[in-house]
Amino acid sequence: MMLDRPDQGGEVPARGDARTKLTMGPVLFNWDPKVWRDFYYTIADQADVDSVCLGEVVCSKRAPLFAPHIPAVIERLRAAGKEVVLSSLALIMAPREMDQMRELAATDEFLIEANDISVAALLEGRDHGIGPFVNVYNEGTLGFLAARGARRICLPTELPAGAINALQKFSAELDTELEIMVFGRLPLAISARCYHARSAGLHKDNCQFVCGQDSDGLVVDTLDGDPFLAINGPQTLSASYLSLAAEIQALQAMGIRRFRLSPHSMDMVKVADVFRALTTGTIDGEEAGTRIAEISGSVATCNGHFHAASGCRSLCL
Amino acid sequence: MTGAAAMELVCPAGTPASLKAAVASGADAVYLGFRDDTNARNFPGLNFSRAELEENLDYAHGRGCKIFLAVNTFPAAGDPGPWHRAVDDAAALGVDAIIVADIGLADYATRKHPNLRRHLSVQASASNPESIRFYQRSFGVKRVVLPRVLTIPEIAALNREIEVETEVFVFGGLCVMAEGRCSLSSYVTGQSPNTNGVCSPASHVQYTSEGDRLISRLGDFTINAFEEGEPAGYPTLCKGRFCAGGKTSYLFEEPTSLNAIGLLSELREAGVTGLKIEGRQRGKAYIAKVVKSFRDAIDAMERGEVIAPADLSSLTEGGENTTGAYERAWR
Amino acid sequence: MPSLLLAGIAAAPLSPYWLQPGLTIALGVMRRRHPDLFDRLSSLDDPTYLIDPVDLPLVFVLSLNPDHPQLSARRHGDGANTAATIRGPLMALIDLLQGRVDGDALFFSRALLIEGDVGAVVALRNAVESVEVDLLDDLLSVLGPLARPAGQAIRLGNSLLARAARDLAALHTAVLGPALRPPNKMED
Repeated sequence: MMLDRPDQGGEVPARGDARTKLTMGPVLFNWDPKVWRDFYYTIADQADVDSVCLGEVVCSKRAPLFAPHIPAVIERLRAAGKEVVLSSLALIMAPREMDQMRELAATDEFLIEANDISVAALLEGRDHGIGPFVNVYNEGTLGFLAARGARRICLPTELPAGAINALQKFSAELDTELEIMVFGRLPLAISARCYHARSAGLHKDNCQFVCGQDSDGLVVDTLDGDPFLAINGPQTLSASYLSLAAEIQALQAMGIRRFRLSPHSMDMVKVADVFRALTTGTIDGEEAGTRIAEISGSVATCNGHFHAASGCRSLCL
Repeated sequence: MTGAAAMELVCPAGTPASLKAAVASGADAVYLGFRDDTNARNFPGLNFSRAELEENLDYAHGRGCKIFLAVNTFPAAGDPGPWHRAVDDAAALGVDAIIVADIGLADYATRKHPNLRRHLSVQASASNPESIRFYQRSFGVKRVVLPRVLTIPEIAALNREIEVETEVFVFGGLCVMAEGRCSLSSYVTGQSPNTNGVCSPASHVQYTSEGDRLISRLGDFTINAFEEGEPAGYPTLCKGRFCAGGKTSYLFEEPTSLNAIGLLSELREAGVTGLKIEGRQRGKAYIAKVVKSFRDAIDAMERGEVIAPADLSSLTEGGENTTGAYERAWR
Repeated sequence: MPSLLLAGIAAAPLSPYWLQPGLTIALGVMRRRHPDLFDRLSSLDDPTYLIDPVDLPLVFVLSLNPDHPQLSARRHGDGANTAATIRGPLMALIDLLQGRVDGDALFFSRALLIEGDVGAVVALRNAVESVEVDLLDDLLSVLGPLARPAGQAIRLGNSLLARAARDLAALHTAVLGPALRPPNKMED
């Protein structure tokens, strides 16, 4: 249902208030390079988001595929007034991967988001971001990283409301902003092994980029046929889509002022519109749920982690 | 050996009985945890009270065996007390090292107990030289337990770039995901290795019979089904049978255990210091047999002899062995 | 389980009524000698188990609540309020009691069927495993000279203790007869 704006209390910022920001996270999947480029062009031109992350997070083999389009994408995003954030790999093993990350860390034109502690270490002393793949579970770690230049931290997705609240209270004393992922398949695990290749009977070294066939990941069902997980190369995601639409108000009440949307093949401009309307208090969680179902073709959603329950659960506030 | 120190055999203990079995079977060091969620094997009925640790420290030290205390979960926001107490007690009791994963806790230990030796847990997933140097520089860690994602050539390359000791898993349960970066269990049960110290907790397991089939479930999801006569496995999430792309398979990993007993000399060549056996939740019979087998193999290697590796297949999940990520083909 | 032994046990008067004194003594010994075993189960709300040796005509209800531990034998488990049931051949259950199977191996074989709270069963397994001596030997040793093969025990008289000893000794004989032991895939 639509809400009458004047009824909203002081906690919810007014429409257009710069206090609550939206980040479009990095594309986690192996999209065709042109699709990848066009997605970011569309986000640049049409999406009501403040920051946009790009860069390969999941598999270093994919990075060269879309690399030629990066300069044009950055230019387009900047022209549209959006902050560009470069995301690092999450699991760095080979010397070649480490070298790529050293190069990334040497860039000082953009905010770099470290998804592995090695990259945060390379950025020590300079302003940088910490992605959801780095384990920031408590004040001790948050304070340590903040003191070394972490200005923005997207928290791990398994944290419940209580932990988010405690960390937000703590970070209010620091010059570090917390970001919470509120939409998209949950990134649950990363491995050295490529499950996409394995599922196709291939080896990772000769994977034929089979992960490119599944733009939102390949759904893994249980033996009963229940959708369970989704694989994306060496990454495992949830089959359900995280949606903290109904929790946005509670998060804002804690003081959280930045939310992350994780890109999928659905219309992410519309998804961003829904979350923008939530942050401004124009619509409520129920209305948002209806709209997300329309946009996504009724994907199953979950929010259990926020409620200190199994992450796969979809619970009411 | 060319003057290098002998490799150290690091063995698990979930109970004092297991600890004694490990010491008697030739462990150089035993790792263990307190009976709470400060360590990554927080299973019901397992682990050590403070008094048990104190008593067994004397026992182990009296027999030349070191004790490492794992405090390797991630402290809860707003409630770091149990983790800080675990570190304080480890220092007070005089353990030989603590094994930590969390940056904040490593920082606490470094400031509070600078002389307490610190090892970096596998749960920190430090898989490259920059990460390892970060932990060395920031917290003076002396040893890093490497995540089970690296090949032997990668481990060798890594050891050439770092100054701290490395320890690797050579036997036991195999995480197929990068450790400390997996919330599959949390997604299904609300209990995670990182925060609760458990994966696929027994409290959420259900076995049901459907005719001759035995179904294992974890939380709301079926993890596996076994036909009549087929050995049943514990429903560890990543070792279940699932359907993807029209095929039913052990998509992530077969029910199998790591066994690198045939790779010890290669690991030594790669510069590894510690050889770690997984299985704090396993019984004393397992501990005794596995530790003895590795002790014999290491001793033979040090003497320049080659011995036939003991058959440990009866102790592995599904009776199957793998060398895991140590060989590139695993990926 | 060899049929010979089964027949021996079945022939013994394993009436729940006559077993009870022995069970109570055994549990008292356990509580006195191994308090840490109870301590390990303290995180459970209700560490009560139905143990059902499928080849015996009775079941056991074991409550390891440290304040009021109880072990009783019954004809059947109907109406027993337990957290979990462990069902299987006597031999497999004794393996469990003696720490011959470990926490993982318990599930690799289908000799045992676990119903109810699997966490409570794992806790029991780990608690039993923590005892450094052979728990069964320990329980039998309390009966001193009475812990001998059944025939001898019976000759010692008609006291309740002797009766208990005889019944426990029947189990003991069954366990310690390695020559008669079937290969057990759960054993290490």
